[in-house]
Amino acid sequence: MAFLEKMSLWVNRVLLGIAGFFLAGMILLTCANIFMRLVWLPLRGTFELMGYFGAVATAFALGYTQIRKGHIAVDIVVQRFSAGTRRALRGVNALLCMAFFALAAWRIGAYAMNLHETGEVTETLRIVYYPFTWAVSVGCAALSLVFLVELLKSFLEKGDSEP
Amino acid sequence: MSLTLVGVLGILLLLLAMFFLGMPVGFAMGLVGFCGFWYVVSFKAAVSMVGNDVWATFSKYGLTVVPLFIFLGYLAFNSGIAERLYNAAYRWFGHWRGGLAVATIGADELFAAICGSNTATAATMGTVALPQMKKYGYHTMLSSGTVVTGGTLGTVMPPSVVLIIIGLQTKQSIIKLFLGGILPAILLGLLFVLTIVILCRVHPHYGPAGPRSTWTERFKALAGTLEAVAIFLLVIGGLYLGWFTPTEAGAVGVFFTLCFTVPFGRLGWKGLVDSVRDTLKISAMVFFLVTGAIIFGRFLAVTRLPFMVAEFAAGLPVSPYVILAMVLMIYLVGGCFVDSLGFLVLTIPIFFPLGMALGFDPVWYAIILTMITTMGAITPPVGVNIYVVKALAPEIELSTIFKSVSFFLLACVVCIVILIAFPGIVLIIPGMAG
Repeated sequence: MAFLEKMSLWVNRVLLGIAGFFLAGMILLTCANIFMRLVWLPLRGTFELMGYFGAVATAFALGYTQIRKGHIAVDIVVQRFSAGTRRALRGVNALLCMAFFALAAWRIGAYAMNLHETGEVTETLRIVYYPFTWAVSVGCAALSLVFLVELLKSFLEKGDSEP
Repeated sequence: MSLTLVGVLGILLLLLAMFFLGMPVGFAMGLVGFCGFWYVVSFKAAVSMVGNDVWATFSKYGLTVVPLFIFLGYLAFNSGIAERLYNAAYRWFGHWRGGLAVATIGADELFAAICGSNTATAATMGTVALPQMKKYGYHTMLSSGTVVTGGTLGTVMPPSVVLIIIGLQTKQSIIKLFLGGILPAILLGLLFVLTIVILCRVHPHYGPAGPRSTWTERFKALAGTLEAVAIFLLVIGGLYLGWFTPTEAGAVGVFFTLCFTVPFGRLGWKGLVDSVRDTLKISAMVFFLVTGAIIFGRFLAVTRLPFMVAEFAAGLPVSPYVILAMVLMIYLVGGCFVDSLGFLVLTIPIFFPLGMALGFDPVWYAIILTMITTMGAITPPVGVNIYVVKALAPEIELSTIFKSVSFFLLACVVCIVILIAFPGIVLIIPGMAG
């Protein structure tokens, strides 16, 4: 259990670090495009690359955001239940969310595989974009892993361990 | 079972997941939207829809504006820009009775012009202004409410994350929404100042006058506002003049904020890393909130519920403003229990078509919804700004903050009434931009 929790934290921290680089890339790419547009010609493919960079940056941050309870949730009703009920409800919540994001990861991964097999390329730069699609799938899978840990914690830990 | 009933049950299920399981709003919308679509159409179609919508939303160019403006706000938050803004406002207004509170609103207004988040604005100004007001003997009935409500200016004054989300969800021009938010934000700020003036006239001990600054000190302090003014003019001026797209404006704002702060040692490595981490956290939350709303919106669309609600409301033999008042009441009550941004994203698929069916201008309607949403951030029990200020000043009782905020809530209501009576206040600048 502790190993799984540590692994989930490590994976999501690494993904967050990579996301930071993609955020920096978005700023550099946009500024470079504006500069090049002023002095010569705009950089081709900026729009499509920005979309893909944004996808990686945010999808890779999904799991870490959940670990830090950064996704908006309403807990005013849940807080009024007993510790045991809260733990059970957290377990149900984690199970549903884990299944939903596992499904999303699987579906997006299948789409990425299809893009890979058909050799689909972007409209302007004519480069393959399935790696970005895979990245979003990995982001969803990492979030699903976080919920798996939450699910196990709700079963295995005694008392109310909500941070 | 009729499709309308399925739609209503879907909404009930969503509320159940949110309130009784504590499921994050975006995830609950995605999950219930998926289940509903599965029930109405098929499992295969629902799975495909979720996969396509998550990928299409996350890779959408239009959404890349979100992390850039959030990053701009966090850089401003971590680089001390707010302190210099507050110092300038304090030098100019500090010697008035209640002057420090007025200075807080003034600095809030300027800070909001470069920061798109109400919590960041409240947290920043709380850090800077609360100790100063305490030092000069300000009553917590005035100081706490000023900081809590001043933060709401960050939601209305462009660049605003809430306006970006509304623009993306309703397929409106973000530039027009930004321009439409300028005068209402100034009006709201003026009404907050008026509230402070009245409070200090009725209770002079709430805000004793501070020391008078010399003219040299005042003009010297004014220099500290130049970077914020320059960033605002560049970002919003560039948008107004058509130099940049909103995403480009965000990137340029970030670039120049880094240029103004990093070389002068105002933003260290820790500040930069914190800004990146917080930006990614908020962006991930916003992206999935939008994705969840899209998935839930697709489910509602197949049940035709939003259209039926819009048709029904438009056919009622009452003034559209009566229906508007009811919608605003729902937002006010809903905003008390659900985070304001979450509630807005959740309800836009239903209430925006309704507003359009009633014949309201989309920019004006969006600004009115934003204004009412801001009130959700300062109303108990979920008002996030209240807890931000409580965390910054644990010695202030929550009941004191609530009482203090109630004075300013009246100003928010007056502002909304004025905007409804005079829609030109919202529409004049977007109209000039064409």
